[in-house]
Amino acid sequence: MQASQINRAVDFMREAFTELSKLWWAFFDWVAVVDWRKLAITWLLSWVFSAMMNTPEPAVWYFLLSFGIKVLAGGKRRAELMAKDANLKAEVATLERRLTEAQMAALQAQVEPHFLFNTLALIGRLIETDPPEAAKVHAHLIAYLRSSLPQMRAAGGATLGKQLELSRAYLAIMQARMKERLMVRFEVPDFLGSSPFPPMMLQTLIENSIKHGLEPKIAGGTITVRARVDGAILVVDVCDDGVGIDLHADDGVGLANIRERLQLLYGKDAELVIEAPPGGGACASVRIPYKMMEEA
Amino acid sequence: MMRVSALIADDEAAMREQLHARLLEVWPELDVVAMASNGVEAVELATRHRPQIAFLDIRMPGMGGIEAARQLFNRCHIVFATAYDQYAVDAFEHGAIDYLLKPVSAERLATTCERLRRRLQQAPQDIGTQLAQLGSLLQQQGTTPKPTYLRWIQAQVGGSLRMVSTREILFFQSDEKYTRVQTATAELLIRKTLKELADELDPDEFWRIHRSTLVRVDAIAEVSRDIRGRQMLRVRNHPQELEVSRNHSHLFQQM
Repeated sequence: MQASQINRAVDFMREAFTELSKLWWAFFDWVAVVDWRKLAITWLLSWVFSAMMNTPEPAVWYFLLSFGIKVLAGGKRRAELMAKDANLKAEVATLERRLTEAQMAALQAQVEPHFLFNTLALIGRLIETDPPEAAKVHAHLIAYLRSSLPQMRAAGGATLGKQLELSRAYLAIMQARMKERLMVRFEVPDFLGSSPFPPMMLQTLIENSIKHGLEPKIAGGTITVRARVDGAILVVDVCDDGVGIDLHADDGVGLANIRERLQLLYGKDAELVIEAPPGGGACASVRIPYKMMEEA
Repeated sequence: MMRVSALIADDEAAMREQLHARLLEVWPELDVVAMASNGVEAVELATRHRPQIAFLDIRMPGMGGIEAARQLFNRCHIVFATAYDQYAVDAFEHGAIDYLLKPVSAERLATTCERLRRRLQQAPQDIGTQLAQLGSLLQQQGTTPKPTYLRWIQAQVGGSLRMVSTREILFFQSDEKYTRVQTATAELLIRKTLKELADELDPDEFWRIHRSTLVRVDAIAEVSRDIRGRQMLRVRNHPQELEVSRNHSHLFQQM
């Protein structure tokens, strides 16, 4: 069996389990809310059915279980459900609108003119002195623009692998410009490449690291991009050993947009954690529920 | 023939070399006596080598070109170089300060050099006020807003130091020893008192609603009255209700 088949099987098992628990709660809610009269009719039907099959146990269990739930949890659960239902309807509409807005904002995130002009100036210089290097930087710039300009962005870019590709192109350009002032380390196992990951989050974190962490530091430093699976959570870290976070500096639209999108996409199951490592610098980490494959 | 000395400062090596190469072409009598990779180095080297002209990149780590120019303008002629600084370029157009757009073309550089040759007879112009204006212009357009209010809260979590942006925080609640920081996804304890926080945070961002509670204004979902007539406040993304004390109830009058 191939690795991708095993991955699909594991994903399937996980989904089956969540589906099962959903079914149980759906049943629970139905019993809590249904009329006594209708419940009694189902009892009658189950008695008739089990009498026909000559096995009384399932009917007895069904009767005891549903009666118990109805008596113990009925009224409270019913009120809860009604309130929840009304709330949900209102919230779903707002949530959908906010998600669309946040996604639009992230995707329209522009290529910084500073970055573009400085890179073009560098290519201009390299054409005179080192044409092969110029061709390399030029190719990186094309790869970067292809995946970061909204008009050019191909569908299906929302995997960790694609996002890493974009970041590698960006960092290669920055290395050509900053030379020994920028070192880059990727510690990402290959198998995570196919895992779904929202677009332009990794890129925003890396740009932040360079802009606020390393560019202001005269000696420069290292950016480390790390990804791992921790239980059912995919953790993607971007760490630098730059000047660290200014406690009085605004965290910027980039981070706010990541937080907003994580919340809208995954609710409480995802978060953006920022840390100040003991050695100095800053570490940003996106944590989302782990899936091996994009859904077909 | 009179020799002229110059300094080049740019954080990107390729850009330094390019400017150097172009200068050799258009102004053979010019000696580049020093190359710097940031503002601090530029000021140091200029003090040591006393060049007549300094070519300064605007964005450099540590100290930028504008800041370096402020320390050098009465000692040498300043020319700025930049790849993209929309507002700054605008300011240059209207001022007496000379500038070059990267990548520098030989023709444009020749014009600048011609201008410099004429000016070298005189003492450097007093461009102090223009530099000050330019500096504040770049600040405004800027990457760094004024550092006034606290925007990040630090909390020790296990062995690591968590940084929580004030935008994530829903409310602070204190007891005698600790202050609890509540976000949509986490609950953290810090040692800062509510009094200290209230002093350091932006008063428009966080409101004191109780002796022991500071709430972020943007996170407030609704305020209602309970059976005993107390004002109770609910925030988005968190179930806890927060009491608004009588002293602070004026904040929510007529809401």
